Amino acid sequence: MGRHDSTASAAGSEIEVLPFRKIISIALKGIRIRIWRSLIVVSGIILAIAFLSYILCSDGFLQNAFRIGTRELLKSLDKIGVDPDDMDNQRVQTYWMVGLALLISFVGIVNAMLMSVTERFREIGTMKCLGALDGFVLRMFLIESVVLGSVGAMLGMFLGVGLAYFEGAFIYGGAVWGLLPLGWLLLVAFGSFVAGIVITVLGAVYPAWEAARMLPVVALRAEL
Amino acid sequence: MNKTAGPAEYTDEELLAHLNGSYVVRAKNVKKIYHMGDEEVHALRGVTFSVQRGEYVSIMGPSGSGKSTIFNMIGGLDKPNEGQVYIDEVDIAALNPLELAWLRCHKVGYIFQTYNLITVATALDNVMLPMTFAGMQAAEAQDKAVALLKKVGLGERVLHKPLELSGGQQQRVAVARSLANDPTIVLADEPTANLDKTTGFQIIELLRQLNESEGVTVITATHDHKMLSVSDRIAWVRDGQIERIQNRDELDIEEGEMRVK
Repeated sequence: MGRHDSTASAAGSEIEVLPFRKIISIALKGIRIRIWRSLIVVSGIILAIAFLSYILCSDGFLQNAFRIGTRELLKSLDKIGVDPDDMDNQRVQTYWMVGLALLISFVGIVNAMLMSVTERFREIGTMKCLGALDGFVLRMFLIESVVLGSVGAMLGMFLGVGLAYFEGAFIYGGAVWGLLPLGWLLLVAFGSFVAGIVITVLGAVYPAWEAARMLPVVALRAEL
Repeated sequence: MNKTAGPAEYTDEELLAHLNGSYVVRAKNVKKIYHMGDEEVHALRGVTFSVQRGEYVSIMGPSGSGKSTIFNMIGGLDKPNEGQVYIDEVDIAALNPLELAWLRCHKVGYIFQTYNLITVATALDNVMLPMTFAGMQAAEAQDKAVALLKKVGLGERVLHKPLELSGGQQQRVAVARSLANDPTIVLADEPTANLDKTTGFQIIELLRQLNESEGVTVITATHDHKMLSVSDRIAWVRDGQIERIQNRDELDIEEGEMRVK
């Protein structure tokens, strides 16, 4: 958004930009009054991040079980069809899985954000007619996406890690609790959480930016 | 071609008004071209036109004549390819996005054919929104919004959402919203097109009443002939040009029915 330069005009010195706190409260209100839409977006993020963190976590179990390599653990690996002699191939496979998980998360989240922004083009046009600045529109959607992204990523991360441990308990028995070093676990959790927020914000930036710089007339004319 | 002043020249009266600074809107030789594929559509072919403070002006014309384009130009929603538009003697082409937003927020109130209310928000929130953009404190904005909603006859329905209101009531909310920041001009684009005859007339009456009591300048783009009787002046638009401008007393009014000379 262009800073106000001091071109001589009647508007001149009286211009004030909406304080950030106010924009946050408008964004939160926007989430609340569209609670069902917001919940659908959040559930999309939850699923995507749960999938990602589950894959990362199970992969961690697998690698560590192989690395520690006690008789029981190797037996568990054998039980789920993992061949310790073929570990390189197995790892390539898991990288594919992680990549795929990221891709699915990305597409799912971007799609949800794209929908929720584009269906509000008219509203954006109206707001711009009423004096909203481009920067306001952009910030409002960014804040909304950060909030939705954090909530979704947090819940998804817990769900995914929880599921991985639940499944791990069946595969490795009690040994599962010591399988992942704490640092590794935190990395998986934190990584999934951040990935969720980043993807959500990225998914919102493009449509929000498009919407923010639209001429009000164009945004008003948008039929969806 | 026309019996009153030609669109491109000023009468003495207009010149005087200009010198006194009493024009709120002036359009000078405004041209607008839209591109539709390879085709160029000349929506406006040189429109010159001015509106004085406190006037009620209707821009009349069939659909496709360019009246909505004029509306968008004088509202600062779109910029001309050629010519100038002045709102309160400020050339809107010279404004940066921030100043343009300020102008839309403080100087102009918009009313649309399709109401364009925020459907998920209450009537009160809709009216408060422009005040929020203007930086008004929430408590003050709420009091003012309630007062405005009372003024348009919706005092009982401040907490209703647009879809719980009839078309006429929604348009009343839009009228209240347009007055939120005490604008110099209220611009109404086909405000009655989606309403039945009686409701449409009530909205027209409301606009006229606010025009008289608040002294706000009202400019409507319309093809609703009910607008004729309340307008101070009527600008007839055809093929992207102002064909003629008539004063109300030049209209032939017979038993409530309008006949155009």
